[in-house]
Amino acid sequence: MITRGLRWLQGIVGRLTGRAEPGDPEAARELFQIRYHALRLLLAANTKALDLMATMECAAAGGTTIGMPFVRSHCTALGVSVFQMVRHLDTLAPDKYSMLFERLEDIQHSIDHELAVYPRSTDAPPVLPLRDVDCDHIDVAGPKMANLGEVANVVGMLVPNGFVITASAYELLIAANDLQPEIDRLLQARQAERLDELFALSSSLQALIMTAAVPEDIAAAIEAAVTKIAPPASETTFALRSSALGEDSAEASFAGQYQSLLNVRREHLVDSYLEVVASKYTPQAMQYRLQRGLRDDDVAMSVGCLEMVDARSGGVAYTGNPSDREDRNVYISSAWGLPKAIVDGRFASDLLIVERTEPSRISNRRIGDKGTQFVLDPMEGVERAKVPPHLRRQQSLSDEEATGVAKLALRLESHFKTPVDVEWAITGDGEVMVLQCRPLAQSVSVDRGSPPAGTPPPLVAGGVNASPGAAAGPIHRVHRDSDALSCPEGAVLVLEQPLPRWAALLGLAAAVVAEEGGVAGHLATVARELGVPAVLGAGPLDALTAGLEVTVDATGCAVYPGRIESLLETEEEPRPATVDTPVQKTLRNVLRHIAPLNLLDPDDIDFKPINCQTLHDITRFCHEQAVREIFAFGTETEFPEYASKQLHHNVPMQWWVLDLGGGFKQPVSGKYVRLEDIACNPMLALWDGMVAVPWDGPPAATGRGFASILFEATANPALASPFKKPYADRNYFIISEHFLNLQSRFGFHFTNVETLAGPRPEENYLSFSFKGGAADLERKAARARFIGDLLAELSFDTEVIEDVVTARRTSLDHQNVERSLRVVGYLLMHTRQLDMIMADRAAVAHYGAKMRADLAQLK
Amino acid sequence: MAISVLLVDDEEDFVATLAKRLTLRRFDIFTATRADQAFAALNENPIDVVLLDVRMPDLDGIAATKTIKGSHPLVEVILLTGHASIEASLEGMEMGAFDYLLKPVNIDELVYKIEDAHHKKELQEGKIRRLAEQTDEDGSVE
Repeated sequence: MITRGLRWLQGIVGRLTGRAEPGDPEAARELFQIRYHALRLLLAANTKALDLMATMECAAAGGTTIGMPFVRSHCTALGVSVFQMVRHLDTLAPDKYSMLFERLEDIQHSIDHELAVYPRSTDAPPVLPLRDVDCDHIDVAGPKMANLGEVANVVGMLVPNGFVITASAYELLIAANDLQPEIDRLLQARQAERLDELFALSSSLQALIMTAAVPEDIAAAIEAAVTKIAPPASETTFALRSSALGEDSAEASFAGQYQSLLNVRREHLVDSYLEVVASKYTPQAMQYRLQRGLRDDDVAMSVGCLEMVDARSGGVAYTGNPSDREDRNVYISSAWGLPKAIVDGRFASDLLIVERTEPSRISNRRIGDKGTQFVLDPMEGVERAKVPPHLRRQQSLSDEEATGVAKLALRLESHFKTPVDVEWAITGDGEVMVLQCRPLAQSVSVDRGSPPAGTPPPLVAGGVNASPGAAAGPIHRVHRDSDALSCPEGAVLVLEQPLPRWAALLGLAAAVVAEEGGVAGHLATVARELGVPAVLGAGPLDALTAGLEVTVDATGCAVYPGRIESLLETEEEPRPATVDTPVQKTLRNVLRHIAPLNLLDPDDIDFKPINCQTLHDITRFCHEQAVREIFAFGTETEFPEYASKQLHHNVPMQWWVLDLGGGFKQPVSGKYVRLEDIACNPMLALWDGMVAVPWDGPPAATGRGFASILFEATANPALASPFKKPYADRNYFIISEHFLNLQSRFGFHFTNVETLAGPRPEENYLSFSFKGGAADLERKAARARFIGDLLAELSFDTEVIEDVVTARRTSLDHQNVERSLRVVGYLLMHTRQLDMIMADRAAVAHYGAKMRADLAQLK
Repeated sequence: MAISVLLVDDEEDFVATLAKRLTLRRFDIFTATRADQAFAALNENPIDVVLLDVRMPDLDGIAATKTIKGSHPLVEVILLTGHASIEASLEGMEMGAFDYLLKPVNIDELVYKIEDAHHKKELQEGKIRRLAEQTDEDGSVE
């Protein structure tokens, strides 16, 4: 019985939108309500779809920072809105346009295809020995390890023994634990706009990966590879280095954004591997990808596992000045112990500048007071150790070693055919080993000259130009993570040590100043890539107190109090564009299936569902047909109460009103409705604008203007009814309490006004279109531009194509919509026949001035 | 009468926060963090609208939408999810979901959607009542 009752109920629900029996006013009322509700939902979905499209097009134009969650969520939300429009149209006209569902599905598949991650092969083995790797293995080993393999196996230089845990292993790890959907969900659901949210999101994502189970075959492959390098009983330890796909290009170095773990014991390799993989989601790496427009899902994390080198000295060599592309000397940063001291930017170091001449010559040197170094912890990991006093001010590599490192770096530059950034270490035996080699990102340095006379003396002078340029802002001092959370946009970051983790702040910062560090640190590299001026190694910064407004001249290595406009005015190389990033390209590709409007003319024979090629086409079709369907229902209905009424205002007028529900104060019988019976505020507001200022009658046309109208009136057959709509012959108001659609014909032109002005500002809109006229196209187009200009001045989003003006306002409260409707009402009446005088400049100016004055009064 | 809303999501914090915010806006809120709780709540209470997560450990939201629309055809389901998936959204809508909203959701938008979904349900109920009265008068239904 229950099942039978349910089936009966389901059957009824399926038949809810059918026709009512004649003579059943209650049924007619219900049908009107259901149909009006469907129309209202369709219009709300249309407004949302248009807003989403506009936001996406705006983002595609560049200038904003977007990630893949933006693209995916907008595509999904847009798809849902368009689906709703199709479904609501189906409620209004059951099964009549069902082809739209198919078109929508096809278009959605095309969009999905653009969003899909290029499938990476999991055919490659999970582990590859470094001796089998070279530059051809970038897609499996990641660029960092592929380059290191090339350095060892093709160039023939000394590198640590080791292997790569490949991108295939990463894919298997993610798939085996079904992590990707949850990662996507977290990224989408917790859109991290503030830094504290970013830190929380990063923590959740890293925890997700850290607690995953490494598949048995990957763990076994790691163990086998380790055993080949070192017998089980040996004390050999390892360095685990990230080698993410997409990392280490000149444009995007990802310097220091991912985790490297040093001196790891073999029994901890698998857990440490997970930790490095999880570092894909450090706050700074997430922020970096966002800033550079890199797709999160393009980044597969390969990990290099290299025998640990117990370095006597280590550092970084650049085959050019990173802050000045013109300077081609070799810059060597060096410290005692592990090179971590240099790349972390943590401690003082030596800088040696080696000329490219043969024989090599050290042209400049700056020897730091190296109080602390990183050394291997006897148990595991690394520790800080004091540098013996006699070594503190001693050069950490000999001149001979320095020229040797320079030669080695130049050989790599020659091999890779680009300036390079080489991380190196010198072993206890005096051998030089290459630990990493990547393209060097260089900035252009602009000479800004000296600050003008009268400029106060600098608060800070000295240090190194780690990223050229100048910027001003209030000082924000960062000592710990909690300071980072309160960093305001446009601040000058003042740091003691330029640690890589502060890179998460570079998207907000105007400039960076640090007591320690040099050009070779990771933070310096990222600052150069993001175009953030940076002075590092500047010594004590006590003069830079929090909140003080300063100007940082990184090129001149000085910080001045206040804003020094002359320093800020110099044209800098623009910050990296956000237009050609992978995310932007994906967005532009999906927009090809979304934004173009191909269905322009509703009366064209091709205005059909099958010809909808984009989501915009579907919205256009649904909107147009929904209004037609609701109109047809209202005018063809057999229930007099719900049929259209002729407006009666002192005398019967040439306006008809169709009430969808709530548009009349009470039920109206008979064939007339009076203005005072109207409850629809948008209609009353529009009417108010129409009658607010008496029309002076048609403008006095010039002889040529009038002749043009006569010619068009006789020669242009389309003038009889250009839109050929069933309701084109009369002026129709389709109304409800908050909704108005006006289709009207004033003389020779045609207008459509549609608005929703209810209690939900987010759904409210006012759209206006105007087309036609009697004069030639040139004058009609001039009138369209004239109207477009007036509306644009009144904050409408306006578009004019030939003689068609379309204008739209959205997300206003109902009072504002009604104010705008009065303006539109005025224009409807007062732009009549203006096309006649559009060739007469004086007349155009006269009418322009008059209308602006009238509109100012009306507002 | 207040609109009855059932929130189904395995994230307890999310459910608690959203329940609080919707209660402040005068909705009657029922909550479930597991599938069995959700179906029990649906059978035991006069639910108008279900807010359903698409992906829960013990529940596939898309399949659940189909089940709910089969057993309670007038109840409207709004999928509320962190999964920005075109495929899942289309599938959900095809199963009869009223809407597919992405987290983080704007509370005003969510309130509008609940009201719209409820209004749709009311219209359908009105129509069914009238048809039932008619069929009773005709004596054609047991």
